Amino acid sequence: MKRKLSMGLIAILILGVLSACSSNSGQESDTIQIGLAAPLSGTQAQYGQAFKNGAELAVAQINEAGGIDGKQVEIVIQDDKGDSSEAVNVANKFASNKNILGVVGHFNSSATLATAPVYNKNKVVQISPSSSAPAVTDAGEYTYRVITTDAFQADYLATWSQELGYSKVALIYEQSDFGIGLLDIYKQSAAEKNIEIVAAEAYNPGEKDFSTILTKIKGNQPDAIFIGGFYNEAALIAQQAQKLDLSVDFIGVDSLYSEALLELGGEGVDSFKIIGFFYPEGDNEKAKEFSEQFQATYNSKPDTYAAYSYVATSLIIDAIKEKGADRESIKTYLDQVKDYEGATGTLSFDENGDVITVPTKLTIQNGEFVLFE
Amino acid sequence: MLLQQITNGLTIGMIYALIALGYTMVYGILKIVNFAHGDIYMIGSFMGLFFLKEMQFPLYAAFIFSAIVTAILGIMIERFAYRPLRNVDRIVPLISALGVSTLLISVAQLIWGSSMHPFPTTFGSKVYSAGDVTISEIQILILILSCVLMIALQLFVKKTKIGTAMRATSMNLTNAALLGINTNRMISLAFAIGSALAAVAGIMVGIYYNAVYPTMGYMAGINAFTAAVLGGIGHIPGAMLGGVLLGLVEALSGAYISSQYKSVISFAILIIMLLIRPSGLLGKKDINKV
Repeated sequence: MKRKLSMGLIAILILGVLSACSSNSGQESDTIQIGLAAPLSGTQAQYGQAFKNGAELAVAQINEAGGIDGKQVEIVIQDDKGDSSEAVNVANKFASNKNILGVVGHFNSSATLATAPVYNKNKVVQISPSSSAPAVTDAGEYTYRVITTDAFQADYLATWSQELGYSKVALIYEQSDFGIGLLDIYKQSAAEKNIEIVAAEAYNPGEKDFSTILTKIKGNQPDAIFIGGFYNEAALIAQQAQKLDLSVDFIGVDSLYSEALLELGGEGVDSFKIIGFFYPEGDNEKAKEFSEQFQATYNSKPDTYAAYSYVATSLIIDAIKEKGADRESIKTYLDQVKDYEGATGTLSFDENGDVITVPTKLTIQNGEFVLFE
Repeated sequence: MLLQQITNGLTIGMIYALIALGYTMVYGILKIVNFAHGDIYMIGSFMGLFFLKEMQFPLYAAFIFSAIVTAILGIMIERFAYRPLRNVDRIVPLISALGVSTLLISVAQLIWGSSMHPFPTTFGSKVYSAGDVTISEIQILILILSCVLMIALQLFVKKTKIGTAMRATSMNLTNAALLGINTNRMISLAFAIGSALAAVAGIMVGIYYNAVYPTMGYMAGINAFTAAVLGGIGHIPGAMLGGVLLGLVEALSGAYISSQYKSVISFAILIIMLLIRPSGLLGKKDINKV
């Protein structure tokens, strides 16, 4: 009896799922649909929320302006939980739904890499707002991103170090693919520029005590310390350097660029030199405009990831506007677009779908990010 | 550089020692490991933040009030999570401890969110230099206040009547009760003192690193527990010695061997220690049923 009952339940469930599938993939839709895949739950939920806010703002703006050819744009949001296998499920859902013309996502590089085969096989464009791992370059011709690679940033930072006249640089890096990647590229690039690497000290993510590392580095008397990690640790490093009376310049890539760095670092992070892309206080009108509208809508300051997501969504909208509402035309547009004015700077794409853009040099003065001059 | 590394090591070692005292006092009496102790330290740190930032208390008052709050918290945890389980298998209170730990972290995340908070005090960042060694105000506070508290605790335990009663309770719970000691009160007292010391440590660390966050008790708790075992768990001066030693080992191995393997080295020392002297550096050798 029990078994019969459960068999019956399973049959009903299967029927339910099947009918749900057929209802959304078959008929033509009267809206233009764009997919958004983001980690909306789990440990990366705060970034997923930023994605959602950025993308929804872009869509709200086009709809207010009357949509595309009279059709409203709709953003279809799926939670990939920051998990690669969940991300593949989301990708399959998007790819099999013919109404989804393009996808903004995913957040972490591992999810973007895992889903790239699905999108490429089904010829759906995916634009990742945030996956900066070098491997994404070769992920496929339908995989684009609006964030530069870690390699690009480390190399750019080495050039900047040379301009600043550093001859001895110490590295403190996170013991992860991200940190080691930055370290390798910076080291290589610094060697070409005759910058001596006097120390390279690793720390495990979550480390709190840097006094040992900093005392060691103090003995080497570097001109600057490159922090290859995230803002929490960077703030701690700066604070502890201050307590050790170690006064050097600190440099880093855009992973340090966050309001939290200012809050946690206090005076310690003054005169940090950081690469950034989204800087609304600068002369980028698009960034200014986006920041104002974001604050009017959500009553909070947009972060970098919201800006990237906004740019990625706007690119897809503009592609549909210019080239027509089908999947292939989005790719055509992205391959041709040149010097696109976005909130994160002027951008184009190279043949691998990697973004070509010029970063903004920032520094910190009196607890605020300002343009470096 | 050696002197500077020793200063760094002593500073963090003192913190480990203060937290380790809580583990060791509770273990000494009840023979259970209070795994929620690291999270009491975290709550202490957040309470310090609350009293300084929201209530605008001066620093010394923040110390006192946070210590009182965590002492009460410690007593409550013992009353509701451990006392009902006192006469069951020893694995049960251990699980209960893990549950309390998770509860405290989750509550902290609900109230304060999961990100790091800076510590709003200007105290501590001033630095003094003598030769090669640079020491900050907060490091001086950590070194002095920890020493004072540890000496006071030692005097309290050795010289006062209540301290004697506590020691009697830790020697033998049943016999102490037969002699007319209110053992439940002694147990509460051990939890209160341990938790108050953890709060002091939590605030000092908050100022030292300028960072407070809900999961900060995890690593600190593990390190302090290591320190307690290293010195001989259940033994009060042992916890102090263990904490200082652990801090020094971390700093020196980080400086001269490898900074990313410093925890590996300190835990390796712990394992070797347990193999050679299971009762710890100062612990007395006695046979314990586990």
